Amino acid sequence: MLQHKTYTDETFDKGRKDMDSTVVTAVSSHIPSETNELYLHEQAQRHLHSLLTDLGERGLYDAAAQCNRCGYCETSCPTYMLTGREPISARGRNQLVRLLVEGRAKDPSIAAESLSTCLLCGACSSACYAKVPTPDIVLEGRRALDGYGDNFFARAAVKTLLDAPRLFAFWLKLGYLVKKTGLPRLAAKLGIYDFLGMPGLAEAEGAVGHVPLRFAAEILRKDPALHPQGRTSVNWAYFAACGPNYLFTDVALATVRLLRRYSGEGIFIENQCCGLLAHNYGRLEDAREFARRNILRYEELKAVFGDFPVIADCSSCAAFMKSYEQLFTADADWRPRAAAFAAAVKDILEFVPADKLPHAAQAELEKAGKVTYHDSCRACHGQGIRQEPRTALRRLAGKRYTELPESDWCCGGAGAFAFTQPELSSRVLDRKLRNIASVQADTVVVGATSCLIQINHGLKAAFPSARAVHYSSLLDELTAPEAGGGHS
Amino acid sequence: MFKTDRISALKPELEAIVGEGNVRTEEAEILAYSYDAGMAKARPEVVIAFTAPEQVAPVVKILHKAGIPFLPRLAGTNLSGGTIPLKGGAILNLSRLKKIRQIDTAARLALVEPGVVNLELQKALEPYGYFYAPDPASQKVSTIGGNIGENAGGPLCLKYGVTSDNVEKLEVVTPDGEVKTWSYRDPGPDLMSLLVGSEGTLGIVTHAWLKILPIPRYIKTASASFNSMDDAMKAVTRVIGDGMVPRALEAMDSVSLDAALNGKESPFPAGTEAVLIIELDGSDAAKVTRELDDVKKICSSSGCAFFRVAAEESERDLLWQARKGAYPAMARLAPDVLVEDGVVPRPRLPEALRQTREILSKYKLTAGLLFHAGDGNLHPNMVFDRRDIQEVKRVKKAGYEILKSCIALGGTISGEHGIGVEKRVAMNWLYGRAELDFFRRIKEAFDPAGLANPDKILPVASDARGEEPPAGLAERASLSPEARNVVDELRLRARSGAPTAVTGLGTRLKAERIMEGAKPLDLRALRGRAAIDRENLTARVEAGVPLGEFRAQLKEAGLNVELPDLKGSVGGLIASKVFPGLRDVLLGLEVVTADGELLELGGRTVKNVAGYDAVKLFCGSMGAYGVIIAATFALSAGARRQHAAFEEPAAWDAFEPDTLHLRLKRALDPGNLLNPWIYRGLAQ
Ligand SMILES: Cc1cc2nc3c(=O)[nH]c(=O)nc-3n(C[C@H](O)[C@H](O)[C@H](O)COP(=O)(O)OP(=O)(O)OC[C@H]3O[C@@H](n4cnc5c(N)ncnc54)[C@H](O)[C@@H]3O)c2cc1C
Ligand code: SF4
Ligand code: SF4
Repeated sequence: MLQHKTYTDETFDKGRKDMDSTVVTAVSSHIPSETNELYLHEQAQRHLHSLLTDLGERGLYDAAAQCNRCGYCETSCPTYMLTGREPISARGRNQLVRLLVEGRAKDPSIAAESLSTCLLCGACSSACYAKVPTPDIVLEGRRALDGYGDNFFARAAVKTLLDAPRLFAFWLKLGYLVKKTGLPRLAAKLGIYDFLGMPGLAEAEGAVGHVPLRFAAEILRKDPALHPQGRTSVNWAYFAACGPNYLFTDVALATVRLLRRYSGEGIFIENQCCGLLAHNYGRLEDAREFARRNILRYEELKAVFGDFPVIADCSSCAAFMKSYEQLFTADADWRPRAAAFAAAVKDILEFVPADKLPHAAQAELEKAGKVTYHDSCRACHGQGIRQEPRTALRRLAGKRYTELPESDWCCGGAGAFAFTQPELSSRVLDRKLRNIASVQADTVVVGATSCLIQINHGLKAAFPSARAVHYSSLLDELTAPEAGGGHS
Repeated sequence: MFKTDRISALKPELEAIVGEGNVRTEEAEILAYSYDAGMAKARPEVVIAFTAPEQVAPVVKILHKAGIPFLPRLAGTNLSGGTIPLKGGAILNLSRLKKIRQIDTAARLALVEPGVVNLELQKALEPYGYFYAPDPASQKVSTIGGNIGENAGGPLCLKYGVTSDNVEKLEVVTPDGEVKTWSYRDPGPDLMSLLVGSEGTLGIVTHAWLKILPIPRYIKTASASFNSMDDAMKAVTRVIGDGMVPRALEAMDSVSLDAALNGKESPFPAGTEAVLIIELDGSDAAKVTRELDDVKKICSSSGCAFFRVAAEESERDLLWQARKGAYPAMARLAPDVLVEDGVVPRPRLPEALRQTREILSKYKLTAGLLFHAGDGNLHPNMVFDRRDIQEVKRVKKAGYEILKSCIALGGTISGEHGIGVEKRVAMNWLYGRAELDFFRRIKEAFDPAGLANPDKILPVASDARGEEPPAGLAERASLSPEARNVVDELRLRARSGAPTAVTGLGTRLKAERIMEGAKPLDLRALRGRAAIDRENLTARVEAGVPLGEFRAQLKEAGLNVELPDLKGSVGGLIASKVFPGLRDVLLGLEVVTADGELLELGGRTVKNVAGYDAVKLFCGSMGAYGVIIAATFALSAGARRQHAAFEEPAAWDAFEPDTLHLRLKRALDPGNLLNPWIYRGLAQ
């Protein structure tokens, strides 16, 4: 990071041209490289100190240099498949960041299009044998872009969420209210959504149909059964992810019901945002602050209850919390604590015990129709969760469950992607919709909030009879005691 | 780097064809197209993306007129620098041309655009019960256009042939922007096959008609592990020598296996040094099972430690995943990997492997060995870090030595990855001056302006300086006295400018066709006994030998050549191309040019993509491009397959030369000395 070593373009060619007959005896040790021309040392705080890759801890340069350009990931990359352009591909993104790090490309702004079009879906890393962490490399590149994470709205939104979550909630509700009263344009004009860092939210909640005026946290907080006071042990702690909390309250409540039904009693952890919003806005230090607060909260509870799993019901959020350690690789104090927290995190998708599930009641099944499962990127690529939810769904829905072709093709929601890259996003979505249509699914089960928004948005326009539902919601519906389920 | 911006002025014109946003010169685009999966790098000046195949020809015309170099690019997974724009110019990005236009199971053809990903085609064919045989390990990403550009192969090519054998017809945009459609069946010299493996230096494929085959009813896959590589190779030689034609016969060493397993539990016992994957197929279940038993017997008597037949599809998938993942998995070991692609005659595999390993240990390199054992095609994957200059040097040196050892063992420098820029130097060792000159003439006939993927395949001046050829490498064929005579005679006639009528047994060429003034050259004397290599399953035979006689000699040795019964001499059959399928078993040719130069083309290996496929060019050349004096054929050991009675086309020499045929003739025989009546209009 400090030394500026550059390797010239001709290294390799020189190697072959001036070969003399001396046989070099030293076996190369692949020593970590300190080269970094991407950003100035003063900016280091805004960046990750190192990346935790499948092959071990690596500096950015070494992580990017691990890509040997084999191209094996290219057909997994949605943006490449749609554009056919190398700079808009996984390999291209890695190479551009590498060139920037090496100082052979001078200005990060040349890579702006390439970096900002990445869905961060991680499909490339799944396809890559070396598991080159392209999404993290892309984010590092983005953080070097001028002004990235510094715009007023992003800063204000993250700060409000961080320091005054209730104020954030207030603004959000105000936004919803304005919308409800039929003045959405006014809301847009007032810039409320922009202020909240969710410029596309206006459209998003259109897709949701109705918006909550009581957020999940407010409801759960009032439920005495979820309080830690007076308990000696807990089986789980529910972490309200922002999506279920602020937008899909029903999902949050369904998750809690499910947890109670199959995993005994637990608590609501009273968490902060996981920090992903700040992270993806390029505000790494804010993301670290969110993480620290969540870790602290967890540690307080752990001191009382010992080990317990932290359950989140948005895969993006769960995947991000599982990667907390990477935020603190240069911080000897927080690193082990982050690792311990991360180890406790579980996605609801992997947590529901399939063997305890009943066969669902006929009427509920009929309502659900043909069921299929969409692998949310942060579940399959981010956490390697593929089998668990399928096992559960097969058990519940039996023959009504169908595999979705290309189920791990990103839906194009990808956090804020749908809002920042609407054109590309809708083309990514189209392919998802075509696949859904090809199996004539009525119910598409997802595990992340942005997929829920995005797929429903697409279905509403193209196949209004089908719907996307969150895993928790469907499981809750199918196993509710009043629905005749609930007995295994 | 480029002093003048030659692109801006053309941009509006180009955009009018391909649309706005598809002519890009931004820095990111330029950088992203300055590398491919190989090691070389160079910056293009512009990247032009296409949305319809029809756009290619007009764009090429513009570039041609402006004198701007160009090269077609697809997935950029080639391993020889084939898509590196050495002279700048334009990258023609064809990756959005990915329509499968037609699947015709009755005609057994699929018509596709070049950007179709190999695996996507396989997926599209599966519901019909068909498959497309070439299956490179990169098939998940590499495309039909790129496969054609490199003449890619895969495990299945042992039985079903490489890309070239599986292409029926091509639509090609020539370097000056003309659209041509060529099939190997067309009368006259085979231009289609010349295009395959030409790495974008002779033209750009815009549509391909591919041969598709019904998926065999029964497929059995087995794996055999050995504690020594030598034992594994022994088993390979014996399986093939026994007359079996496995669908695939692949090998990998423990380094590759470990990388591909990626921490998963190995299905093989500890101490495994080499693993063979053997796959058999057929429509007769009993026969497949019987062959599998035979394979098992051979393996166990060759020291196999563990033999297992995959019980179900998932187990089979796992084996193939390990095999096909072995190359990309090298990325786990180090940031860079250099893969060599030499081929040796199969029986020499153990020697080649031993030498390769010696070279690797001499240079202290880690490498995974991976190879298409059945074809004698070796891939040592050397891992290194290109940021370590010393290591890069060692890798390069080791790579060159490995190639030299392949040449010395009677093999070639590339079986499927192509020459590109990275193996250009080695062309100097493999070929003599005459062959290289011959290739150059082919290139000039197609691309006189030198704009299509310049400086690829053929060595440039600096290559000769770069690395000395090892002494005594290119050993020449030993000619019989009769053949010597033919060479001398042609040399004399070339000097005096006397036209020649090349005559064989007179089976097809009737005396009245022979133009007045052309002096007959009788090849009947070239009738020596075939030189049969029992172990390698190849035979060299002189051109004047009648096919029937050749067959009889093979039969004595318990071998045969898979051709229908045809009349006439071997040379005549090749030159007249009455049976277009002959090219499938033809491996090498010795040809005398109009100047009296002796060329050795192709070789004794079943795979060879070094240089242009001139062997196939001579199929149908009717004696007008050169005089064939000997040929090398691939043989088979088992019982001869059934051949439908073959009906010869009536007018075998009724052919309308294409402009490219004429240009080739002008380049190869400017004085129209050989069979001059065929290109009567040449002078004009
Ligand atoms: C992981 C991995 C495994 C591999 N395994 C194999 C293997 O098993 N067998 C094998 O043979 N190869 C293998 N390769 C090499 C490579 O995949 C092949 O060479 C492949 O055919 C290249 O296809 P592509 O689409 O990437 O073409 P590109 O690399 O883009 O192009 C290849 C060449 O074809 C030319 N070309 C491109 N399009 C056209 C066109 N329309 N008309 C004419 N010329 C054109 C280009 O100019 C270039 O010279 C492997 C590579 C990798 C990275
Ligand atoms: S990211 Fe991995 S799969 Fe993609 S090109 Fe690089 S090494 Fe190959
Ligand atoms: S994260 Fe997704 S969009 Fe980004 S490079 Fe990887 S596959 Fe492509």
